[in-house]
Amino acid sequence: MKFTLNWLKEYVDTGDLSPEVLSEHLTMLGLEVDSVTPLFPELQPFKTAKVISVEQHPNADKLKLCEVAVGDESFSIVCGAPNVREGLVTAIALVGSTMPDGMKIKASKVRGVTSHGMLCSERELGLSESHEGIMELVPDTVHGIPLLEALGMDDLLVEVDLTPNRPDCASVIGIAREVAGITRSRLKLPVDSASLEHSNQNFSVDVENSEDSPRYAVRLIRNIQIAPSPWWLRKRLLSIGLRPINNVVDITNLVMMEYGQPLHAFDYDKIAGKKILVRHPLQNENTFTTLDGKERNIDPSMLMICDADGPIAIAGVMGGMNSEVSDDTSSILLESACFDAVSVRKTARKLKLSTEASYRFERGVDPGGCVTAMERAVTLLCEIAGGKAAEGGVDYYSGIRPLNSLKLRISRASALLGIELDYDKIADVLQSIGIRCKPKDDDTIWVNPPTFRVDIEREVDLIEEVARLIGYNKIPNSLPTVNLSYPEQDPKRKLRAQVSTLLCNIGFSEAINYSFVTDKHLDMMQLNQDDSRRAVVRLLNPLSEEQSVLRTMLLPGLLENLKRNINFQKNSVKLFEIGKVFTPQGDNEQPIEKERLCCILYGLRAGEASLLYNSEKKVDIFDAKGTGELLLETLRLTGCGAEDSVYFRTPDENETETYADRSQCLLIDSDQGVLGQVSRINPEVAKLFGIKRDIFYIDLDVELLCRLTAAIKKFRPLPVFPAVKRDIALLVPASVKAGDLLDTVRKSKEKFIEQCEIFDVYQGRPLEECMKSIAISVTYRSPTKTLTEKNVNKSHTKIINTLTSKFKGSLREG
Amino acid sequence: MEQELVSLQNQAREQLATIQNTSQLEAFRIRFLGRKGQFSTIMKRLGKVPKEDKPRLGLLANGAKREIEALYSEKQTALASGDSGVSQCCNTIDLTLPGRKPVPGKLHPVTQIMNEVCSIFEGLGFAVAEGPDVEHDHYNFEALNIPAHHPARDMHDTFYVSDSILLRTHTSPMQARIMETQQPPLRVIAPGKVYRCDSDITHTPMFHQVEGFLVDKNVSFADLKGVLTIFTQKMFDKELELRFRPSFFPFTEPSAEVDIACVICDGKGCRVCKRTGWLEILGAGMIDPEVFKKVGYNPEVYSGFAFGLGIERIAMLKYGIDDIRLYYENDLRFLSQF
Repeated sequence: MKFTLNWLKEYVDTGDLSPEVLSEHLTMLGLEVDSVTPLFPELQPFKTAKVISVEQHPNADKLKLCEVAVGDESFSIVCGAPNVREGLVTAIALVGSTMPDGMKIKASKVRGVTSHGMLCSERELGLSESHEGIMELVPDTVHGIPLLEALGMDDLLVEVDLTPNRPDCASVIGIAREVAGITRSRLKLPVDSASLEHSNQNFSVDVENSEDSPRYAVRLIRNIQIAPSPWWLRKRLLSIGLRPINNVVDITNLVMMEYGQPLHAFDYDKIAGKKILVRHPLQNENTFTTLDGKERNIDPSMLMICDADGPIAIAGVMGGMNSEVSDDTSSILLESACFDAVSVRKTARKLKLSTEASYRFERGVDPGGCVTAMERAVTLLCEIAGGKAAEGGVDYYSGIRPLNSLKLRISRASALLGIELDYDKIADVLQSIGIRCKPKDDDTIWVNPPTFRVDIEREVDLIEEVARLIGYNKIPNSLPTVNLSYPEQDPKRKLRAQVSTLLCNIGFSEAINYSFVTDKHLDMMQLNQDDSRRAVVRLLNPLSEEQSVLRTMLLPGLLENLKRNINFQKNSVKLFEIGKVFTPQGDNEQPIEKERLCCILYGLRAGEASLLYNSEKKVDIFDAKGTGELLLETLRLTGCGAEDSVYFRTPDENETETYADRSQCLLIDSDQGVLGQVSRINPEVAKLFGIKRDIFYIDLDVELLCRLTAAIKKFRPLPVFPAVKRDIALLVPASVKAGDLLDTVRKSKEKFIEQCEIFDVYQGRPLEECMKSIAISVTYRSPTKTLTEKNVNKSHTKIINTLTSKFKGSLREG
Repeated sequence: MEQELVSLQNQAREQLATIQNTSQLEAFRIRFLGRKGQFSTIMKRLGKVPKEDKPRLGLLANGAKREIEALYSEKQTALASGDSGVSQCCNTIDLTLPGRKPVPGKLHPVTQIMNEVCSIFEGLGFAVAEGPDVEHDHYNFEALNIPAHHPARDMHDTFYVSDSILLRTHTSPMQARIMETQQPPLRVIAPGKVYRCDSDITHTPMFHQVEGFLVDKNVSFADLKGVLTIFTQKMFDKELELRFRPSFFPFTEPSAEVDIACVICDGKGCRVCKRTGWLEILGAGMIDPEVFKKVGYNPEVYSGFAFGLGIERIAMLKYGIDDIRLYYENDLRFLSQF
């Protein structure tokens, strides 16, 4: 909502409030002042000038040479306007000023004669469409003063962000009413209230549906002379950014801004049958041309204003071409109505047409104010446009609901706000903005909300008014008294915190990506056509194709992030994301949302450590695997007494992801299903994301991770007796897996084996091709005694024998 | 002989004084004190001097040699301890070299702020609950007293999945979801992602909110003010000035916007606070009786307050981030700053 300070002052005395303080007050009343700016800042450099003498230009018939006085100075100007004459006071753009269209004024030669500035037309100043000549100011205007001052436009434009519950303040009078509450002064209204005598001599009105059109008032005004509006009226409209059209349209717009009541003027002579019907379109009425010249599709849900031949306006939204006021209009039907908010909103939405009128109707127009605003407009039409109002008119108001008094309990208001209130305090603030109160009993007040406050329907609405008017900041702070209770923690949140902390500590940074992605990702990941992740939840109104479907996997987002970081010359990237993926269900059902964890590793293992210690070593699959192992151990799903219910294994053919490198891919399996995978990205897929080097990832199902049982922390006594370590260097065929060797050792029935580890793997010369050497260290320990050579040797020999026979290997010499 | 000894002694003394490192010292040792060194040579010649001069010259030679030996070992110690008076360029550790530090990663700034917000409210006894990102129209709007065709829907640029399913535009649906299944007293915060179809330098189509609410008997607007005052002061580590100003949300009545004194300019007025000296950081209010009725609470018995805040906005203010789009590019140069 825009208005100017001087305009506001026409209706209310703002006392000694400065514009800043006034804005502050409005903001604190819930009418948030967005800006206070000087009006027409682009016109500030312009001044008034008086033409002293006019001579013919020596080299051009149509140009004149003028001497103009601007205060104490005078300038010679070349001017081509037909109306330039001695004594005329007009607007001048001096050298160095900029025109509203951006043109800079310079001293320049026009046909050989230098012009030191430019005399301006109203169009050039953006004040009207008039360009027949230069602007003509009132003859006694002082020259040399700022043009804005001369025009009475040195004013401040105030813009208020209205909340949807305050349509009453979509009018200057509405704002003035709030100001009157601040300054405790009386409102000065052009028309206080009015009524309309019923008469249907000249036309008839028939409202078919009182629900969609609770009130509908029309009046005939004859003898109209269409002309441009006087300056004061144009100025008002211009100041808030409305374009003056002609006196009739300008008056309806002015009154709408004053009272918040949209008005519409029909050309009476164009109304067929002199009949107004407020109804829904008929079957055959499918299109309608609005006065902006656009043909619009209408449907039976929309409310139309019709004459005997058909629609002449879309109720509450826009009038039609067929009944528009034009230059030769002489009689008008002035409509002032209250249409149903929802009905207008639906229509405006469907038509994608939002107007000043629909804005107000959608939020609620004062059903009690139609005739008052109409009376104001009629007065202006008679004063300005020469109109003669016909006696009486039609005021249909069957749809208006009777106003109920509301009960306001002082105790309730006090309790809800946390402040001691009494009748006097409440009545004082409510009455300051025109809400009438009277006491009912000790605790109850009868309150009559005025018709323009369509937002006040309940006791709690009144309590809000009281709080608002007292000032939220006058209400003290307190703390609620509550019973102590311990809120249970969500296990998923705990797990997330644990995992994130660990990953950060070992060098991974957290990424957050949009939940919506492009479905191209699915192809880039080379998912099979029947992959369940190809079923996506699609947005009906995405901002772009890039953000059109809900993600079914996290990895593509992280790959995009990786690409970006590589572009910015990062040579080590470790990122993780914990987030939801979405699986569609039925059409009107929520999708299934599941949380996943994804990590990617790329580039230097050491990260961006100091160059001095930077090793050139790149991450490999074992960094990814190690991260996965550490994660599972930290969550106590492996190691530390955890049962072996979670383990790594190589995937079967059909378990390998299309985007994983088959030769470097591991599944993390559990007794409750596959938990995730650790793998190298298939280089082809990496290439599709624009990445040429190795990328490794870990992808885990957070939901399942949460369901698995973590090993409880339990103390084990420290060993008392020493351990004995024995190494085995085995020469085995290259196809033998080290893990199988370890498993064999671990599962052997030999007593005293505490631990076994791989400590070296070697392949190459001098070993035979297809053979490799694996070195295992076995630790023996007894809880009850110091082991002797004999004890250990016996077990160790057995283990060696088992290994060599099972894996077709031999002990490596030396 | 006697003169020879004296000059050898002087020569050795002088030379020793100029020695700067161990290799020079070693050369000195060989030349003067070694098995074939000059002192040995002179000592050997002692055998040939006349008998009567022997004791005197022997004493003199031994004395000279002992002095030089003593000076030599003194020099040796000095060099070893680096205290030769001259800097020593070998065998020392240069501690100005950088430390070998592990490189940890960072939590996303949104997560950091989210954790901070949650922990403040958890400290006040609030439970944390999370809900679905893809919501029913019912929970996102209807249950919050925002019927279809209400102008308040203009405040929410909504992404739709179908007629009745949408991406939640705020975390407020959790109010209805929790009240529907639990009875007061309730103290809950609901953090999460929210979505609006809006994208420019100050808006991303996805962002994070924390919704909070407290329902009990006799909860007042003053209580709301008290709780939010604690929160903002803890969040910004200052005795911040706070103001509550009337606003409108269909699911609260009275409704308020909460402003804090601009943390950038301390309330003096700057670009960030649009010269007002105030920054809007929270929306709040007393839960509307209609919302209670829809979940079957009696508004005559229970009252409560609710609030919602945007995490990105708080991170922007706290860390001075000036472009919201940076949050979702996951650029390590950005992430590593927090």
